[in-house]
Amino acid sequence: MMFSALKPILQILIFPAGLFLVASGIVVEWIDRKLVARLQNRVGPRWFQILADIVKLLAKEEILPSAANPWLFIGLPMIALAGCMTAALYVPLMGLSPAYSFSGDLIVTLYLLSLLTLSKGLAGWNTSSRFSLVGATRGLTQLFAYEAPFLLALLGPAIVAGSWQIDVIMQRNSSSWIILTQPIGFLVALIGLMGKLELPPFDAPEAETEIVAGAMTDYSGRGLAIFNIAKSVEFVIGLTLVAAFYLGGLNNPLEYLLKTFFILVVLIGLQTLLTRLRIDQTVGLWWRYGAILVLIQWMILIIWKESILL
Amino acid sequence: MNTIAALEQAEKLLTPWTKEAVRPEPNRLDVTIAGLDLYACAAALKQEPWGYLSAITGLDLGLEVGELETLYHFCEGAAITTLRVRLLRQGGSVPTLYPLFPVASFFERELSEMFGIEVTGTPDPSRLFIPDDWPVNVYPLLKDFDPKVVQPRQADSPRSFQPQDGQTFYVPIGPQHPALKEPGHFEFTVDGEVIVGARMRLGYVHRGIEKATESQNWVQNLYLLERVCGICSHTHATAYVLGVERLAGVETPPRAQAIRELIAGLERIHSHLLWLGVSAHEAGFDTLFMYSWRDRETVMDILENLSGNRVNYSANIIGGVKFDIYPEHAKTIRQGLDFLEERIRHYLDIVTTDILFLQRTRGIGRISREEAAHLGLLGPTARASGVVRDVRIEAPYGPYSHYPVSIVTSEAGDLEARFVVRLKELFVTINTIRVIMDNLPESDLSVRVPRRIPAGETISRVEAPRGEVFYFIKSDGTDRPERIKVRTPSLCNWTAVLSKAVGSQLADAPLLIAGMDPCFSCNDRMITVKRLDGK
Repeated sequence: MMFSALKPILQILIFPAGLFLVASGIVVEWIDRKLVARLQNRVGPRWFQILADIVKLLAKEEILPSAANPWLFIGLPMIALAGCMTAALYVPLMGLSPAYSFSGDLIVTLYLLSLLTLSKGLAGWNTSSRFSLVGATRGLTQLFAYEAPFLLALLGPAIVAGSWQIDVIMQRNSSSWIILTQPIGFLVALIGLMGKLELPPFDAPEAETEIVAGAMTDYSGRGLAIFNIAKSVEFVIGLTLVAAFYLGGLNNPLEYLLKTFFILVVLIGLQTLLTRLRIDQTVGLWWRYGAILVLIQWMILIIWKESILL
Repeated sequence: MNTIAALEQAEKLLTPWTKEAVRPEPNRLDVTIAGLDLYACAAALKQEPWGYLSAITGLDLGLEVGELETLYHFCEGAAITTLRVRLLRQGGSVPTLYPLFPVASFFERELSEMFGIEVTGTPDPSRLFIPDDWPVNVYPLLKDFDPKVVQPRQADSPRSFQPQDGQTFYVPIGPQHPALKEPGHFEFTVDGEVIVGARMRLGYVHRGIEKATESQNWVQNLYLLERVCGICSHTHATAYVLGVERLAGVETPPRAQAIRELIAGLERIHSHLLWLGVSAHEAGFDTLFMYSWRDRETVMDILENLSGNRVNYSANIIGGVKFDIYPEHAKTIRQGLDFLEERIRHYLDIVTTDILFLQRTRGIGRISREEAAHLGLLGPTARASGVVRDVRIEAPYGPYSHYPVSIVTSEAGDLEARFVVRLKELFVTINTIRVIMDNLPESDLSVRVPRRIPAGETISRVEAPRGEVFYFIKSDGTDRPERIKVRTPSLCNWTAVLSKAVGSQLADAPLLIAGMDPCFSCNDRMITVKRLDGK
């Protein structure tokens, strides 16, 4: 009862407000960095560090490389952020129903989320730094590696629900935890999310010991800040999607917080434990194991569904 | 093969070309040959095979004599054969030994830029250490070198990384690069992710130490040479004092010798743990990096507790050591070692079982035993390829005859083997330190050494954490050395890194470089910087 009364108020504050998304992105990134640091026996950033970094970057001069196309250079971070922000409209943030919803919005959301990687790829290609170029190549190569398995892993719950609409899938699956019936899909979705966010061990595109900051090497000031915000927002949306699909739906803010935090902790553990993969190893891992595992999952699902219908 | 037999064999091998052969020290043979015969002599030694090329020393005999000498030092076990070639001061040239000993290329580049000796047939005559804007025909290690004449000339136009033929794509690494916290410069030519060419440039932190030693007295030089390297400071000081003590003919008290080995052991632990962290970071495994560096603090605290310093412990003085090991020290050391032993066992477990980490190390950068011997690898990198090369065992110096260490080798020769060999060496080191502390002999800590060191030449070889450190020390009987030549192990290992980098993935390059545990500041030591006060 209480939640239904609060719902309209929360919706006004949260949707479709970008400020909330940025804030939650900052919180998620801070938890990520702080916990990784603690697990690595470091102190980690202070609570306002991420915000301070963003403010600092936004206030700094943006250096435009002479070899870069200025329109692309300035525009790409915005496209990336806009993509992530738009994707937020279709996911059940804070456990509330999405601001917009239509049949097939799952596919649209996933493509909007890919805009970040595509923008980074273009940004790396657009500047003359060779580190950027190598980083962009790696980023796009990685995109081709994880994108299909990740998509297939998120379509697993969709098949069970018989719909490609995020809200509908979540509602229909909220009675059961799909993680129990489709553990492979959950694993692939989780690791796919790490690949999407270029978290270790999939951080070859921005491996600092090889190619400095990858595609972001030439970015400074505002552009870098916006790219960072976009990544944080994508982190939030990714967590929301996986939690909504696999962990029995998100029916209220408390459930949302607990479930996304659980996934975040699992991701942090993996980041701490694993060694960076080379780009050829990443691609090999996805196509040799990720894709095949998900396809097996799919076959089981389809056969199972057929047998129910028969 | 014992030392005497080895020297006799070398003498016999070199007979056809020998002009004069002497045995200045029991373990050394000094053969004077003509420059034209150099290649033939080296080939004869290589053919046998007799030892490896350890260093090339240049000597300026002064304006009165008007000649230079180049000394080629070959080591086989404890035996050292030196080929001595006399050259005219102007326009002297020697043939390259690169085809026989690839490592010679680096030594020869150093020789020609420091002494102006032309090396004919060398594959790469470009400068290795001295800066691009150094004037032509000014050679800093000549005795008549005057710092005042060094006026930076207009450097050649900045090197462009733009592809000349539109095909090659360079990825520069260093001297300022997140991958390489140390000042070296590498140019990798890449085709996609695969490296197809590699070059390097050193010398960004030359401090002119070799030249500076000639103007300081024997005691002052100890402090100077200890600062050649920030990690193996004790090793350099030990190599120096061992040589000077031999020239002076003094016997170091046994307790001092034992303390020297103990400090060397602690230094090896901190150096290897440092390396473990750096390598893990290069591989993208930051958790291991953080943990190993946290644990390294244990040994740093022990060193600080003993000496008051974390890095330049300054344990050595000529003729002994500066501080004693008291029972309360021994207790802290033992506790620290127990803790470290357990941690290192854990790290060994990680680097040999973690699947993702093994993907980055197993089978990567494999160097076979033959290649390792041919390339002249030293230290743990050589031992990981199955080459038994450890001065502590081949030619025990100072205390190592009393407290012997066992050798750790591996046949695999890949990056994983380099991890395993280094970590296993730490167990040996920890045990040796325990043995030393149980059996510390009672004696004075130092003996008096005259201010003037009798004239003579000696060679001092010490096993640093990275491999053999080579010191050539020449005294003319005054209170200052005539010449001190330092050859650090990293210089010998570059050839292997560069040759292994070609054909491997760009992503493996940082780990390949880190895998040999390069130490840049001890490579770079010889540039003479013009002093502002004009002295």
